[in-house]
Amino acid sequence: MAKRVLLCIGTKKGLFVAEAPAARRRFALRGPFGAGVAVYSALIDRRGTPRLYASSCNAYFGMKILRSTDLGKKFKETAAAPAFPKEDGRALANIWSLEPGADKKELWCGVEPAALFRSRDGGDSWEMVSGISNHAHARQWHPGNGGLCMHTILREGSRVHLGISTGGHYMSEDGGETFAPANSGVGAGFLPDPYVEFGQCVHKIARHPDVPGRLYMQNHGGFPEHPGVGVLRSDDHGKTWRSIAKGLPSDFGFPIVVHPHEPDTVYVLPLAPQTRSCPDAAPAVWRSENGGNSWNRLARGFPKKESYFTVLRDAMDIDELASPALYFGTTTGQLWMGRDGGEQWECLFDSLPPVNCVKVAVV
Amino acid sequence: MSVDGEEDAWETTESCQTLPDVQRSPHARPPWLDESAPLLMTTRAATITVLVPGMLRHYCGGAAELSTDATTMKAMLDELERQYPALHRSICDETGAVRRHVNLFVNKHHMRERNGLDTPLAGGDVVTILPAVSGG
Repeated sequence: MAKRVLLCIGTKKGLFVAEAPAARRRFALRGPFGAGVAVYSALIDRRGTPRLYASSCNAYFGMKILRSTDLGKKFKETAAAPAFPKEDGRALANIWSLEPGADKKELWCGVEPAALFRSRDGGDSWEMVSGISNHAHARQWHPGNGGLCMHTILREGSRVHLGISTGGHYMSEDGGETFAPANSGVGAGFLPDPYVEFGQCVHKIARHPDVPGRLYMQNHGGFPEHPGVGVLRSDDHGKTWRSIAKGLPSDFGFPIVVHPHEPDTVYVLPLAPQTRSCPDAAPAVWRSENGGNSWNRLARGFPKKESYFTVLRDAMDIDELASPALYFGTTTGQLWMGRDGGEQWECLFDSLPPVNCVKVAVV
Repeated sequence: MSVDGEEDAWETTESCQTLPDVQRSPHARPPWLDESAPLLMTTRAATITVLVPGMLRHYCGGAAELSTDATTMKAMLDELERQYPALHRSICDETGAVRRHVNLFVNKHHMRERNGLDTPLAGGDVVTILPAVSGG
């Protein structure tokens, strides 16, 4: 069967699925699934027969997980969603990340308030991962503007990296049994002493599977007193971090994405910290092709002014075709695609609900 | 249909489904029905009716109404949790608290105007589950 590009677009009013042949000339849109309910995370799981997952975060009736086994033509709720044990005292407020685990049916899920859950049956039952969810620091983390969320789960063999806002970067080296903060060099510009053990407002972490020790981080930047704390890189599995923000118009932003074939190529979308829109209201994605040593502005096809959208932490992704395309969704309901690794941008959809997350896969 | 005799009161419909209760009399469940089978009925004077909003009915087999002999709101919710855990989870969070944007009424009164989860229930009461109004 010919390859197709599949997009999961999580919005304030449900999940949309867009599909196109590999040439990506025209995307067909379907949805919303879970209509009227916000979707903050999605997963296109290509282990075996592809399965699509999305969190359905119902302000009235609580959290659900939606699952599709037919590439997003229809979705059904899984038998259960993550839930804290009754005696824990915390109640699930949102679901921020869904990631594949080691086994074919294993899923990991990061939630708000920040905690980690694992399913071993494709999302029908969930257990809380105690090593981080009951970590001694867990009751000391504070919510950022988006809530106290565990938004990033990156697995790398027996290492598990977690991004928590506002908690920082935590790492396990024993498959998720135990976790420790690893934030050396990660600044918290909103604290009197910005270099603390934990409590940073990490926005997103990304990695490339071919370079396991290297991680890229979009941290909460935008502090004139602490320039450069916003965009960081680690070359020792996250134990220490250094700024790679030099050359960017702002070190504030939310998503960070790595090129699928070139581990040195990384993308960010700098935002002005006050408005959380692109500097000078002129949208641009910035690309480094040398691991963050220098940056280039990619803006061909974007409006040149008067654009005040925000792109949220999970709202940018890149496909895996030979010449990959970047995608991002905006809080103003636009879905943009940047062909040739972001060289040429076009708006695929311009009137969706506000976009929370975008995931793409070639199936 | 008679509502006087316990057994005569049971009649199956698609719109009203009883909860298995904790305090129902030994004769409340028709003897010809298996204990594990969900019970369906239209009217029974001694029971409390629970009205389920449309968006939650798929969690209780499509029933628009459930009936129970629970004596308090909390007992009613505990019963729901046992019989329809997904419906209960949509009304209450993990801690057992009623969700912030869900309102529970006993007849015409919000339960917070009565005694919250300790609000007593009596035969003939109608409990209505409704999403709170919101917008803007």
